Amino acid sequence: MKAAIRHLIRNRRRSLLTLLAVLCPVYILVIMFGFASATMNDMFDTVTRVDTGHLQIRHVETRASGSATPLIQDPAPILAALAGTEGIEWSTVRLDLPALASAGDRSRTVLIQGVVPEEIDPISSMRSRIVEGAYITSDSPGVIVGKEFAALLQLEVGDEFVLLGAHPEIGVVALRVPVVGIVDVPIAELGRSVVQAPLALVRELARSPSAATSVVVRVAGVTGTWDTDTIDAVAQNLRAALPSDYEVLDWRDLVPQVEVYMRLLNPAIAIVAAVFFALGALVVLNTVYLSVMERTKELGLILSLGASRGHVVRMILTEAALLAAVGAAGGAVAGVALILLVEALGGIPLSGDFQLFAKAMGMSPALHLRVAALQTLLAASAMAAVALLAAWYPARRASHLEPVEAMRYVE
Amino acid sequence: MSNSPLIQTIDLHKTYETGTVATPALRGVVLELREKEFTAVAGPSGSGKSTLLHLLGGLDRPTSGEILLEGRPMSTLSKDALARLRMTSIGFVFQAYNLIPVLTVLENTAFVLELQGVARAERIERARRILSELGIDQYADQFPQRISGGEQQRVAVARAVVSEPSIVLADEPTANLDTVTSLELIDLMRRLNRDKGATFLFATHDGRLLDRVNRLVTLVDGRIASDEVRDSA
Ligand SMILES: Nc1ncnc2c1ncn2[C@@H]1O[C@H](COP(=O)(O)OP(=O)(O)OP(=O)(O)O)[C@@H](O)[C@H]1O
Ligand SMILES: [Mg+2]
Repeated sequence: MKAAIRHLIRNRRRSLLTLLAVLCPVYILVIMFGFASATMNDMFDTVTRVDTGHLQIRHVETRASGSATPLIQDPAPILAALAGTEGIEWSTVRLDLPALASAGDRSRTVLIQGVVPEEIDPISSMRSRIVEGAYITSDSPGVIVGKEFAALLQLEVGDEFVLLGAHPEIGVVALRVPVVGIVDVPIAELGRSVVQAPLALVRELARSPSAATSVVVRVAGVTGTWDTDTIDAVAQNLRAALPSDYEVLDWRDLVPQVEVYMRLLNPAIAIVAAVFFALGALVVLNTVYLSVMERTKELGLILSLGASRGHVVRMILTEAALLAAVGAAGGAVAGVALILLVEALGGIPLSGDFQLFAKAMGMSPALHLRVAALQTLLAASAMAAVALLAAWYPARRASHLEPVEAMRYVE
Repeated sequence: MSNSPLIQTIDLHKTYETGTVATPALRGVVLELREKEFTAVAGPSGSGKSTLLHLLGGLDRPTSGEILLEGRPMSTLSKDALARLRMTSIGFVFQAYNLIPVLTVLENTAFVLELQGVARAERIERARRILSELGIDQYADQFPQRISGGEQQRVAVARAVVSEPSIVLADEPTANLDTVTSLELIDLMRRLNRDKGATFLFATHDGRLLDRVNRLVTLVDGRIASDEVRDSA
């Protein structure tokens, strides 16, 4: 051990190279995993907070018929089932209704989101996106609209426009609503069609005092993206408690693309990891091989004096193991340190298009990193193991040297 | 035990094959070495001195013939068993590059003991004792490259005898040393031979060293040309 350390110090440059060959892949991977983990969490968080919740309860026909009319005439049985189920953190009733919005001679189809503003406000980003006016409240008769929508219909805060809904029996239902706020949402297309209104107002348009399209549910104690068990367990209980004409969908059913992204990200990193590991292994193999060549005489001497092959293999591997351990630990520590530093500074701000893209994907406008403990540990130990494996071949070669020939060897 | 030979070679042949060329290095060497002998193998360059020492030390195998070490045939030993034999029974002093550069003089001296699995405290104690007997204990904590060639060879002798092997084989141990230092090294070996009964066989082509030995084997063209026992000082 002492001798191994002295060897490494003697050949500082090569030791450093070997160390870096182990350190760099681990460092990069820790950061990549940190980025992936943060992105996933961010996405998951945004999606499940604002959009879909962890779970949504809908009428079974919603998906089958693609119906635009509210299929839940009264969410009371759902709310009762929720009240009787453990592990619910929060739930809110939503009523989304397609309508035609028109002002003067301009019109546009929109999907009005009927929400309970007080319930979704604490977790929604809508209020922060208000650029003019104010956010809606349950008893205000007004709506908030997207900036682009307001421009299209030439509306300003305080102006009124008409919403036309199609009722299966009554026919067209019209409602005059004032604009109380204008929001700036990241995607223009969304900005052209977003209209958010208090639940009561949308129910008025639907001519149904208790209608709903879904109940959005957040499950208590969900620790992260990977924690599907907690959500599944609650979904199971809810299904049992609900009448059969309701179905429970989880966020993976509702926004499958997020899960697809998450599923693709880890294999993608795994492939990158494999490439880095292979490169690291090659460098380690090369440097250890060189070190064996350089020490042919010394190895010949050691073998002459009667050292066993195992002794020689252990000797070389001890050196490699030291470098691998220090390199892997160093890479992990450096990676984690960088992540913590970046996070302490509030993340790396994204610029221009990337920022828009991030917002569109429901992510924060800064690049965030997050320490992925398991992956960090995995990357470090896998790289260390790969390095040792790479050192094994030259170590074996060293142990099979012929002592006399090795001692005659001239560099 | 002292009546039966320590080492006995039976019609020892060694031919090196390099490509299509075969070089006969030893051609029928018959030799008996006894305990406590202090023997020199002399002979011109290429006469087979090194080859003989390598075979006796289990570093290489003969093409034909047999070596009996303490009555046991070496040809039956596996590669690993030969390595173990070198570790337990043979002490080596080479012409150069005897010491492991990253180990101190003390650690180098104790190296074979370490291979033998001797406990740390004991091997340090034994290594220190032999170094002080050879008058080089002041270098104990130095690294080999910091001491002179003569001192390095003395350390090599210390390392060779510290484990009390059956025989110490020294291949031209003085080849890189000046006359005075060479004589000092031979005297040192002679003293260990006298005081501790260590058996030495060393190869040399330096005639000035030969009046120190009590037996002189001369090789010519891979055969023993003469084998004389002397009464040396
Ligand atoms: N590994 C080898 N391959 C081929 N030929 C060899 C090898 N080792 C030695 N020889 C040859 O065998 C013969 C004996 O060599 P050896 O080294 O035993 O002689 P030596 O008496 O020790 O010579 P020197 O005094 O030069 O050290 C020489 O002709 C030499 O060229
Ligand atoms: Mg020779």
